[in-house]
Amino acid sequence: MIGVLSYLVFFATMASILAIAVLGLNLQWGNTGLFNGGVAAFFGMGAYVTLILGGLPQPDRLGGFALPYLLALLGGGAGAGLLAWVVGRCTLHLRHDYLAIATFGIAITFENVARNASWLTGGAQGLRGFEKPLQDTFGAGLSYNAGFLAFVLCVLALVYLFLERLVASPFGRLLRGIREDETAARSLGKAPARIRLTAFVTGAVILGLSGGLFATFYGFVSPQDVLPILTFQIWAMLIVGGSGNNLGAIIGTVLVWAAWTLSGWALSRFAPLDMQLYTGSIQYILIGSVIVAMLFWRPQGLFPERLLISRPARSRGTTSGQTGSTDT
Amino acid sequence: MIQSLLDGILVGAIYSLGAIGLTMVMHMLRFANFSHAELLSVGAYCALVFDRLFEGLLPVIANNIGPLSLTWALLLAMLVSMGVTGLTAMAIDRLIFRRVRERGVPQSMVFASFGVALVIRNVIGLIFGLSPTFYSNDIAFAMILSQDPLILVKPDQVFVLIAALICMGILHLVLSRTTFGYALRAVAENPSLAQVNGIRLKAIIAAVWLIGGGLAAAAGVLYGLTNQITPLMGNDLLLPVFAATIAGGIGSVYGAVAGGFLVGIAANLAMLVVPSGYSPSFPFLIILVVLMVRPNGLLGEERT
Amino acid sequence: MTTTLKTFGAGLALGLSALASGAAAQSCEVKIGGIFPTSVDWGRPIAETAKFAVDQVNAGGGINGCTVDLLLRDSQSDPKVGVDAAKALVDLDGVKVLLGAVGSGVSMPILTTVAVPAGIPEFSCCSAATAFTALAEEGKSKGLWFRTYPTTDVQAAVTAKIVADQGLEKVAIFYKNDDWGQDYAKLLAGYLDQMGVTVTESVAANAAQPSYRAEVTTALATAPDGIVGLLYPTEASVLIREWISLGGSQKMVFSNSLRSDEFREAVGDKYLTQAVGMDNAAPRVASADAFVASYTENFGSGPNGPGLPNSYDAAMIAMLAMQAAGPDASGADIAAAVAKVTDPAGTPVTADADGFAKAAEVLSAGDTVMYQGATGNVVFDANGDVAAPAVMWKFTETGTEEVTYFTMEDVRSMLTGN
Repeated sequence: MIGVLSYLVFFATMASILAIAVLGLNLQWGNTGLFNGGVAAFFGMGAYVTLILGGLPQPDRLGGFALPYLLALLGGGAGAGLLAWVVGRCTLHLRHDYLAIATFGIAITFENVARNASWLTGGAQGLRGFEKPLQDTFGAGLSYNAGFLAFVLCVLALVYLFLERLVASPFGRLLRGIREDETAARSLGKAPARIRLTAFVTGAVILGLSGGLFATFYGFVSPQDVLPILTFQIWAMLIVGGSGNNLGAIIGTVLVWAAWTLSGWALSRFAPLDMQLYTGSIQYILIGSVIVAMLFWRPQGLFPERLLISRPARSRGTTSGQTGSTDT
Repeated sequence: MIQSLLDGILVGAIYSLGAIGLTMVMHMLRFANFSHAELLSVGAYCALVFDRLFEGLLPVIANNIGPLSLTWALLLAMLVSMGVTGLTAMAIDRLIFRRVRERGVPQSMVFASFGVALVIRNVIGLIFGLSPTFYSNDIAFAMILSQDPLILVKPDQVFVLIAALICMGILHLVLSRTTFGYALRAVAENPSLAQVNGIRLKAIIAAVWLIGGGLAAAAGVLYGLTNQITPLMGNDLLLPVFAATIAGGIGSVYGAVAGGFLVGIAANLAMLVVPSGYSPSFPFLIILVVLMVRPNGLLGEERT
Repeated sequence: MTTTLKTFGAGLALGLSALASGAAAQSCEVKIGGIFPTSVDWGRPIAETAKFAVDQVNAGGGINGCTVDLLLRDSQSDPKVGVDAAKALVDLDGVKVLLGAVGSGVSMPILTTVAVPAGIPEFSCCSAATAFTALAEEGKSKGLWFRTYPTTDVQAAVTAKIVADQGLEKVAIFYKNDDWGQDYAKLLAGYLDQMGVTVTESVAANAAQPSYRAEVTTALATAPDGIVGLLYPTEASVLIREWISLGGSQKMVFSNSLRSDEFREAVGDKYLTQAVGMDNAAPRVASADAFVASYTENFGSGPNGPGLPNSYDAAMIAMLAMQAAGPDASGADIAAAVAKVTDPAGTPVTADADGFAKAAEVLSAGDTVMYQGATGNVVFDANGDVAAPAVMWKFTETGTEEVTYFTMEDVRSMLTGN
């Protein structure tokens, strides 16, 4: 039974790390309507910067500044935010399908740089030389993993509370206002470009934190961690959970990641060995079909966005419909 | 330098063919279709099947055409494949995209296309295996156009360029000279107004998929002829084809053609100065530069 | 939707408990875990070869009389997925040995996050990154890391020797832009420089690229006498075809990954008459032929493809070590027993079912064995790395044949500088 517990702790850690990333994307897409096709780039930026700042010095490579861990992690978030600021300045004025592809391209380029700039990123070999923090205190086994899970859960809770307050605040209403009708927002004297940039950067910082935690968990990051499939996974989690709903985003993450790993486990266990060699392709076909089926039957996700209406409106008895984005 | 320019034009022709279909679909249905490039794979494999079939039925047509590694059988298979792939694209729209569209959330189309791409790619992998194949295992040698500077061109690539130009030419005539072409443009401009005037929206959308799928199949076969056929080829061509579409401006067929050549040439020229490890980034950098100068692409029009 | 959640949770609990009770009820079955990218073109044959090794062991009586059950998991080349699969294999299925992964980007996090904390040895066929050696030198792999893929240093030294022996003075290098290729190309350039061979251009070939025309043109412009191709069959078949069709020199030297039927058929053997390559050698004993024969009988073609003999050896050594460690051995015991089955002074055993049966006999008497593997007499150093004898091979109409044999001593003498 200890094995099951150990695995569940492990699973929960990865799911929580991914949930943080999904929350970051939810701010960008669910609340602000910015199609970020380059999730992997911001996640990767957080991962790489965290390890470069917090790792030990390495020969033939810049970096390894051995900063205290929390500082390195925050640095990772800041790095992702900086990348988002630069990218946002260039691309946020574009139509949403242009933005999707421009950001998709950023992710490709980020992976490409990580693979080639070995003086900084370790190249295709990956970036190592990072000591998991507090390993002396907690040891290496289950106790360490449990401790790390607790830390990740704290970060997740903080991010969740921050975002919940943010979307309920006037700023959150502004974000949704811009998402629904930019012209109207501008007529009220708001500056949509600046506000969108703020949301984009904030979301990216959260993605970066998630990436930093991911790299900490493995003590290692390589270009294989930032392939486009990661972007797809994070998006799948948000779509299944329900974009615009933070709780839905977290539950969606757990469900999708469980389905992703359990399907592999089930295929390995119950498919005949000869068939097992084909399970990779079959698994992808299943995942693709589930996504499409989800969009047929419940395009707003399992937990649709709750439309927040200011109190006077509600007291007048105006009932809300579904999420704002569906009634187009 | 001249060689790189030439290489760029020859590779660019394939990107252009892929981008024409994509730009039409993106303009008409207003979503970034990430599964479009998979239609190139469908077309290439479909032609492979018919090529082998025709060769088996009529060994006479298995001979090469002139200096090309292309056979009559493959040429025929390519035409069949264009039809079949066009119909496949229509079927995918009927089965999936139309339903998602009718559910209302417009942006979930992008995501649906991601899922569709994943399914198509892996189904092809299951059926045909993951290893690369070729239409002809023979190697067609390049012709030396000039010794100093050394300029080489493969006959197949010249054929690819000519075939691509013919496809584009036919499409140009259809769009600019036929009632159907006007109807197509009318729907793209203003769907409701076009419907009021008796244009059947569904028929037009089906036609767009048919054309887009057909051209994608042609691009897939021509790519397979000069490179290789793998289940991942669509995925590999995704970014260049998108780059061509966006650089040209969404909705502009001529822009897509220009964008294809631009991406091909720029990527080849860039290799002269940048280490080749960075080559996957070039299409993206081209998108970025074009969008900075012209936010709607080279020939695109502003549309809200 | 809450119903969905509940059903899901119930299903999960049911699955886990079924698993726990199922594991206890089975009589005499030994599980080993394998993590391979089975959804990648060159990954699937590597997994098939590992499965073949398991079949051989079962034919030879199994480990300590128990049937070996290989639990294969697809890593999808995604580190997250691979690491999760490894953790599930160790925690839920209770495997004591992990085979894999292939890419270093997957093997490394498995090692640091799953294998080392749980004390489970990881036997990789194909992860080539030098980072593993560095990790072992820091004492962080705890002796649990083994790879049957010779270090890129060995490969580069032998390749350089072959290039010089072919009389090439100016070569261009094409390398796969991954951990293996980057490392290999860098080391090879160093060795070639020592031997006075000029490298005119070192061109990275990215996987999944629509066209390699620009890469080929770049190298062609430097007019080399010949080329060195450190590539995998998928991109090499396009790149080398392009190179030949543009009139590039057909004097080519290849890495062992191109000793592949797929590549030979794609390019055509008439263009490969002047091509040679390096590979790790099988020992000059009959057992190596026996391995090739049994493999060919099983798969219909020889073990020609990247990582196949390595995958076979990794699986075999892992199972021999399990046999040597005895039933109920811990992961650390198994790791320690590797030395008993790769002992140069031990009784030689062949790489097939009979060999395994013989090894079991010798080991039960308390003696050690020397496993004569598909990649040679595998001996791991303290870092879990192998250095193996090498060969120069060339293509024939039906496959490849070995031309020159470099003994272990030859290979060591080539490793001049690092």
